[in-house]
Amino acid sequence: MQDKVKVEARNIAMSYGKTQVLRDINLVIEPGEFFALLGPSGSGKSTLLRLIAGFNQAQSGRLLIDGEDISRVPPWHRNVGMVFQNYALWPHMTVHENVAFGLEERRLPNSVIERKVAAVLELVGLKEFGSRRPSQLSGGQQQRVALARTIAIEPKVLLLDEPLSNLDAKLRVHMRVELLALQRKLGVTTIFVTHDQEEALSISDRVAVLDAGVIQQIGTPVELFDRPVNRFIANFVGTANMFAGSLRPGAGGMVFESAALGTLLLPGAPAALAGAVEIAFRPHVVTLVEAGTAPGGGGIRLKGTVAAREFLGEFIRYVVTVGANEIVADQAHYTDARKFEPGDAVDLGIQPEQIRVLRA
Amino acid sequence: MKRAAFTLPQAAVALLIAAFLIVFLVLPVGTVIYVAFADPDGGFTLSHFSSFFQLSLMRESFWNSLYVATLSVVFASLIALPLAYFTVRFQFRGALAIQTLGVLPLIMPPFVGAVAMQLIFGRSGSVNLILNDWFGFTLPIMDGLNGVIFVEALHYFPFILMNLVVALNNIDSAMEESAQNLGASGFRLFRRIVFPLAMPGYVAGASLVFVKVFDDLGTPLVLHQTNMLAPQAYLRITSIGIEDPVGYVISVLMIGFSLFALWASALALKGRDYASLQRGGSSLAKRTLTQWQSTLAYGWIACVLLLVLSPHIGILLLSFGKVWSFSVLPDSFTLEHYATVAQDSPHMVWNTMLYCGLAALLDVILGTAIAYLILRSRLPLRQSLDFMASAALAIPGVVLAIGYLRTFRGVEMPFTDELLTSSWILIMLAYTIRRLPYALRSCVAALQQMHVSLEEAAENLGAGKRRTIQRIVVPLMAGGILAGFITSFMTAAVELSATLMLTASQTNAPMSYGIYLYMQSAAGRGPGAALGVLAVLMVALGAYLSHRFLRSRATALDQQI
Repeated sequence: MQDKVKVEARNIAMSYGKTQVLRDINLVIEPGEFFALLGPSGSGKSTLLRLIAGFNQAQSGRLLIDGEDISRVPPWHRNVGMVFQNYALWPHMTVHENVAFGLEERRLPNSVIERKVAAVLELVGLKEFGSRRPSQLSGGQQQRVALARTIAIEPKVLLLDEPLSNLDAKLRVHMRVELLALQRKLGVTTIFVTHDQEEALSISDRVAVLDAGVIQQIGTPVELFDRPVNRFIANFVGTANMFAGSLRPGAGGMVFESAALGTLLLPGAPAALAGAVEIAFRPHVVTLVEAGTAPGGGGIRLKGTVAAREFLGEFIRYVVTVGANEIVADQAHYTDARKFEPGDAVDLGIQPEQIRVLRA
Repeated sequence: MKRAAFTLPQAAVALLIAAFLIVFLVLPVGTVIYVAFADPDGGFTLSHFSSFFQLSLMRESFWNSLYVATLSVVFASLIALPLAYFTVRFQFRGALAIQTLGVLPLIMPPFVGAVAMQLIFGRSGSVNLILNDWFGFTLPIMDGLNGVIFVEALHYFPFILMNLVVALNNIDSAMEESAQNLGASGFRLFRRIVFPLAMPGYVAGASLVFVKVFDDLGTPLVLHQTNMLAPQAYLRITSIGIEDPVGYVISVLMIGFSLFALWASALALKGRDYASLQRGGSSLAKRTLTQWQSTLAYGWIACVLLLVLSPHIGILLLSFGKVWSFSVLPDSFTLEHYATVAQDSPHMVWNTMLYCGLAALLDVILGTAIAYLILRSRLPLRQSLDFMASAALAIPGVVLAIGYLRTFRGVEMPFTDELLTSSWILIMLAYTIRRLPYALRSCVAALQQMHVSLEEAAENLGAGKRRTIQRIVVPLMAGGILAGFITSFMTAAVELSATLMLTASQTNAPMSYGIYLYMQSAAGRGPGAALGVLAVLMVALGAYLSHRFLRSRATALDQQI
């Protein structure tokens, strides 16, 4: 096994003609890390990945792998393995030939090639499939071949471009567990691109969220979920109720004022944020009780009317009208749980420490 | 409610089409094959084949045909391969010019330009006169079989070019990038990844060129290279007579080679379901050329263009030239050839319009009906209609004509005393059958693009089958139908193989026959060229119109989706 390497991007900017696709990208990916680039389509995440592979050229900035600037190194000398979204298996070659390709390009002796191909095919569980053509394999098998072909060259860094997007839902969950296990076994620094937040949060060590060519936030999955730094992150990672208003010091701590919700006491909010702000809170931190029922454990209370509900299995998602606005509230579901009907008057309870204050 | 497998009108239409195809395709071709293998008592024999191979002239013709077809493919490939790679791989403005080259073989068949080519590249043609004056040597470009190979390769290389360009454009850029990612670059990348992926396209184009050259009757005849299979079949039947078995043996051999070439291209595609693996993604990355490289590329492409256009330039010069012999250019220019044509042969222009118009009309009617039956009905054996109609691809024009002459000899046209074999009906029907595969593909493609739900919506709103076809299917297929019509018309207008054999009298002759006849004599070259220019203009106009129409239609359909 090779030494684990660090990947660094410094002040990278890139544009296609007049369209700026990446702005001031700064990233440090630690050796052996499983790192996700998450963002909606058009956010620049694939462009960044292709830049690391050498298929795109940045106009400015530096790209370092293992401390070495590789910005000017052509793709075929980078030793950065990439698994393509559509796998890009060559249809005129067998599975064995596909996997052997990179080793042959490295002019390794035949005996070594044979040994390595057999080893990686065994690793991905396709030992018996060497003589098949790619078109004779299922989607999941094709993906394993693409993976085997890439790890056969023992790349310094492994790049995965939406690796699971072409698989069906069940297989996707299965493959992502396998992918993580394989990465841990090989210890190779891995960067993978996805637009699926669940996928990014479930298997990566850290995630960089991109939007409009800018990295919005870098953090562990829990940090992104609990401490979003802006409106985009709060909405893109999970679901959030958001309200604009102003924050000012008051008796007993900071006070949030808005036309939508009136005055709310947020004792824990940082005084530094005073001024125009937005507040965000997750649907599952809102508790619903029948109107007039005794409050449980204090906190913020609001009055509202159930407008709609959706049964989602583990929980029921209620849309509650509060004044002229709507708040989404998820209530855990279990047999005999209290259910509300559209039109029911309800009281909403929120613990102030669950409310995140964002600079507007 | 369970639908019936098919409706009565569907079955009736299918039977009518089947009857037509059997009488005018299966029966004549079957007759040819039967005669080739039948002894005088009707039993099976190979004696015709053995006597064929005992004739040294026939053995020579056999090898000559193979040699010419093979070398034409080689030279056409040499022209097409670099051009295709250039347009797909590099960013430069010549791409459009090269695409225009693709319609040239449609616009002018090789036999029309052959005489002009002799005047330009022949022993005492323009090029060799200049070479001899300046450098004291000449090139035997047009001598003997060389001339046939040269003319055919120049005319048919676009078939390889077009197929190759499409194949290269269909390669997903990820195919190339993944190879680069694994360490491949430069020529190794091309040899191991790009070329193998484009191979099916190349083979498809190459086999088409092989078949076209093998079947071509006009070029060898015009260049007086009669020791080849197609001219021999023609000469045998026209001079010795319809009974001579050697003509039939040649026919069977020609069908055999056509089938072989089609089989080879099918084989190249087999087991390589490339489409399913290449979804999404963009085409191969384009590189920019340096100043120096692009100068070189433009220069080289200009040379190729000049070469490719030389028959067209030559025929134009010939049509305006007063005397053009042993000189680089005609001595003086005149309009009298056009006057001659206007006086002698306006009926030929009219005949071409009539035969080709009717043939193209029949083609699109048959094509639409067959396409509808294959794709939308559950008629048993409906695929056999498709198979029969497409099988015409493998039948050379000479063979079909021989089949007609033999099958319908002595048959009189209803209500007249005229023999069917001496009327123009057979010429028209031969055009119909030979162009049907192309028209059919066009119609099938048009119908395939149309979702069934569009028809179901009409039925749901109360339109019956007939009304649905009339108000929904045909209007939506109009683009494909028109494209099929124009392609059929254009290619029929310049078809010579069947025309030569089936034209019974001067009054029935279409333009292609007229051009050939004029070209036979030195004095007729000028008017022949003038008639050729008219034919080219007619066909070019058709090509341009269909291109325009298809483009505007393509954008309209895009907006719809």
